Amino acid sequence: MVSGEMMITYLFSGLILFYFIGAVSAVLLNKKDGVCAFISFISAAVASVFGIIFSLSVIWGDPFSLALPGTSFLQFGIFVDALSAFFILVISVAVFAVSIYSIGYVREYFGKKNIGYLGFLYNIFILSMILVVSANNAIMFLIVWELMSVISYLLVVYEHEKPETRKAGFIYIVMTHIGTGFIILSFLILAGSSGSFNFETFRAAGVAMPPLLRDMAFVFALIGFGTKAGIVPLHIWLPYAHPAAPSNVSALMSGVMIKTAIFMMIRVFFDFLGAGQAWWGYLVLAVGTLSAIIGILYAVVEPDIKRMLAFSSIENVGIILIGIGASMIFFEGGRPGLAAIAAIAALYHLLNHSVFKGLLFMGAGSIIFSTHTKNIEKLGGLIKKMPVSSVLILVGVLSISALPPFSGFVSEWLTFQSLLLGFNFNTFTMIVLSISAAVLALTGALAAFCFLKTFGIGFLALPRSEHAEHATEANTPMLLGMGLFAILSILLGILPFYILPALDRVTRTFIGVSAFSQFFSISTFGTIVLPAKSSLSTPLLLVLMFIFLLVPFLLLYNARKSRAIYETWGCGQPVSTSRNEYTAHAFSKPVEMWFKNLYRPARQTEATYSASPFLKESFRFESRVEQVFEEYIYDPVVRFVMAKSQSAKVVQTGSIHAYLSYIFATLIILFMFVIAGGS
Amino acid sequence: MSEIILGSKMVQLIIALILVSTFLILGSTRLYSCVRAFGIQSFLLACVAGIVAYSTGKNDIYIVALLTLVIKAAVIPYIFIYIIREIKVKREVELYVNVSPSLIIGGVLVVISYYLIRSINILSELSSFALSASMSLVSIGLFVMISRKKAIMQMLGILIMENGLFLGAISLTYGMPLLVELGIFFDVLIGVLIMGILIFRINKTFESIDTDMLKTLIG
Repeated sequence: MVSGEMMITYLFSGLILFYFIGAVSAVLLNKKDGVCAFISFISAAVASVFGIIFSLSVIWGDPFSLALPGTSFLQFGIFVDALSAFFILVISVAVFAVSIYSIGYVREYFGKKNIGYLGFLYNIFILSMILVVSANNAIMFLIVWELMSVISYLLVVYEHEKPETRKAGFIYIVMTHIGTGFIILSFLILAGSSGSFNFETFRAAGVAMPPLLRDMAFVFALIGFGTKAGIVPLHIWLPYAHPAAPSNVSALMSGVMIKTAIFMMIRVFFDFLGAGQAWWGYLVLAVGTLSAIIGILYAVVEPDIKRMLAFSSIENVGIILIGIGASMIFFEGGRPGLAAIAAIAALYHLLNHSVFKGLLFMGAGSIIFSTHTKNIEKLGGLIKKMPVSSVLILVGVLSISALPPFSGFVSEWLTFQSLLLGFNFNTFTMIVLSISAAVLALTGALAAFCFLKTFGIGFLALPRSEHAEHATEANTPMLLGMGLFAILSILLGILPFYILPALDRVTRTFIGVSAFSQFFSISTFGTIVLPAKSSLSTPLLLVLMFIFLLVPFLLLYNARKSRAIYETWGCGQPVSTSRNEYTAHAFSKPVEMWFKNLYRPARQTEATYSASPFLKESFRFESRVEQVFEEYIYDPVVRFVMAKSQSAKVVQTGSIHAYLSYIFATLIILFMFVIAGGS
Repeated sequence: MSEIILGSKMVQLIIALILVSTFLILGSTRLYSCVRAFGIQSFLLACVAGIVAYSTGKNDIYIVALLTLVIKAAVIPYIFIYIIREIKVKREVELYVNVSPSLIIGGVLVVISYYLIRSINILSELSSFALSASMSLVSIGLFVMISRKKAIMQMLGILIMENGLFLGAISLTYGMPLLVELGIFFDVLIGVLIMGILIFRINKTFESIDTDMLKTLIG
């Protein structure tokens, strides 16, 4: 009989071991594509099962720590409290479904690409994410953080034969290193005050630091981790990197990797810096609100489905940060109960997002797998060609649109509630929170609009191109992976009363108080009761929805007697062709017009006439929206740097003698320096 | 005791001769005489090592001395001559800096090295003589690399620097552990072979071993 503590150590070792097995076997079995994919992804899935059991037992038990051999200066180690465990849980759940999906998905690469390389990177990537959330030393953290960034870069450029993929990889690696630079600055400030790189000492030092240093540490951490999380205006890499990566990897990057940045934000803001000053919370709230609205606005007009999902990730990170910002405001204002509710809302949304965004990216992968296009205008009618995938994607679409009884609804409801509960705080907070809540409401509506468009244009009606015409259903492992997430989306939507107490244990680690039963409770029918009498019962809602769902069927049954089936009248023109369909661009046109100032749409039309000016031979229409942040913030900076680099290039003559002369001159100057100083 | 060996007139004389051989390299415009001067320099270095071995009584320094004699004074000059013969280039050095300014700069470098070592001030008067010679060798080696066009001279320059380091090491430590010395010799030998191959490649690509041509490689 092994003791509980030993058990947990075994679980953690098993988790790491299986990722290693996955990585190594991927390399060893490189020659046989099928076997290689199967073994490496299955062992990732096994490792994730270890991860799920491990993290659940830490959340419901005690923190786990493990010291690795080191010197007194650098003491590397693993520390997993309930917060880290929650993120390990999120990672593991996502990895389990995505790994099963990957077994089917990588068949597309068989014979074309190196599967062993993909399997190796995939396993190491997940391992690095696990270590990021469990490192207890700043240096160790930076090492695994860099490992995660570099490996994810290699995964992004996996299809490196496409030039746009290489560009995406370049933008990603530049942005992520800018972020890492700020993280290092922030950690150096913290380490300078605490005298050690251990995270435990950061906790004590953060509170005692002079205000200016704390502010700097906060701002640098926000920029650094914000870059990885994809907050506006540091988000530009997401719409490039996520579409470029293979879809199983995008599911992990968007669903999980950007969440590790949220994890570190919570760690730094609450744990290390003690939520600091009032304006921190407002800043995070403002950044979150801005990211939410900007992200979804770009998602609405994006024709590339994977790019659209990447923009939507920016939106969802925004929503999570709204929760965290509100939590910081409440925490700093001495209302830990409210802070806990806001933080629970944020973490719940984080969990939900990793599930439904994973599902949607896998869905996008299935579409690309069978149609070989990412352009929504070229899809259509997929519900008839790939019925199971379509239903599963529909579940994801409904979840992300925050419709009950799916998962997105509960967490967005909680976020709203936590914002509204803060109204009796003070006038300024009330104004800020109400603006944020209003923007969040708009975001929700636009998200629903955006995904309605995606599903309606992509899956309904008739195929718009050859690609969509010949689409076939995805293979079994892919459907299994997506199915798992679809079921999870529904469960997270109707069973929140099981999840909230667990989340409460997680938020307790950094808020300090338990909100469950003190500030919110769960009564009969799984009703979540919040302060100020707001309550929600998801099971009752589900029952109610089923009752209402019956209504149209009953009406239909009554109307059957007098129904005549006949073709639609189309003024003498044939109606049932795809040329008559509503396009995605036309659908999102109203939004494009309302937010003209942001999009700055440009259009170009070109018509060729045959014989008479009344007979158009062909007509070409092109429309594009501006990426404001890239064109007005990043491009000028890039141009400036490039111009300066051009003039600095003079020293690079390419002549061996010149380079040697530089060394020689430096040497002589140093000699002179020593002679002058020494005598 | 160890102070006495390096202070002895014998060693001082040899070190002075090493410097002279370095100036021979600076002063000649024929590739063969440069290589010959390098061979003499290495031979003198082997003599220093031999005297150190004799007066400290450490047997492994004899091995070092012998290795210096074989590798640096015989094998490497032979490789040089082989390369020069095989490549069939004009046997002139081709300078950026002419002979007389080169000699003056060499002299200035020796003076700077002397002052440098004197200003460090942690060494006794006697071994500082060897150390300043070693410093001069390093800086003159670098200067040879800069001021000569042919790739062979860059190779020679780096070997002069290596000799300087060897002289410095032996005058400071009176013999490093044999394993380290063997490692260094191995490094030098392999380095020379690789540089030789590189020179052949450069010659094949550019029809010349003028390193100025490498400018065209710039992206």
